[in-house]
Amino acid sequence: MKTVQMEVPEHLYKHAIVLVKEGWFRDEKEIFSEAIRRFIDSHRPDLMEKFIMDDVEWGLHGHE
Amino acid sequence: MNKSNIRVICDAGPVIHLDELNCLELLCDFQEIVLADTVREEVKHHRPEALKKPDIHFMRASQEYPEGASLRTMCRVFSLDAGETGALAIIEKNPDALFLTDDACARLVADRMGFKVHGTIGIIIRTIRRGLMQPEEVLQLLAQIPTKSSLHIRRSLLGKIIEKIKKEFYL
Repeated sequence: MKTVQMEVPEHLYKHAIVLVKEGWFRDEKEIFSEAIRRFIDSHRPDLMEKFIMDDVEWGLHGHE
Repeated sequence: MNKSNIRVICDAGPVIHLDELNCLELLCDFQEIVLADTVREEVKHHRPEALKKPDIHFMRASQEYPEGASLRTMCRVFSLDAGETGALAIIEKNPDALFLTDDACARLVADRMGFKVHGTIGIIIRTIRRGLMQPEEVLQLLAQIPTKSSLHIRRSLLGKIIEKIKKEFYL
């Protein structure tokens, strides 16, 4: 595991703490790991590029 | 030009990104703009001003969960959030509608399920085809994406898109 130091907006941190207090996560570290995992999952470069180029084609020549 | 007769079901991303680029009104070219309640809450949280434009009417749709087992499973497997899942549940009941999302996983699920799906870049470029904007205006808008919006796109890919449009219109 890598240790990273990061700054997060106050309101995001407060939300994270609430989720921990409510028992959804063990601690705030788990939340930020999950958030990063989720971000990486949804931003796969190959997929993103394919979808964006599909958008360009549709934008220019699509039929509706 | 008359409005397109397409109904769009929006995820939060395109609404936020188009508003950041000050061109949310591009959605007005569609017959209906539908937001699931959870998507509306997400937009309200991150970009409340986007919901206050007097000329843009967002139709509300109650949060629903997909009925089909395949779609439900796909939403779980790809860890889609409540907004994306809700939007897909609406699309499931309106298969002719267009789903707008910038989330790769949500788009992948929609694509696999055979739904029509596009994102912010597509909506912006489509304005040329629809005669709503000149190619030069679209190029300006695209160039602003890295500085004015939170849409993530690799600079080199954005450059490739800009070059493609220039080539297409002999600019």
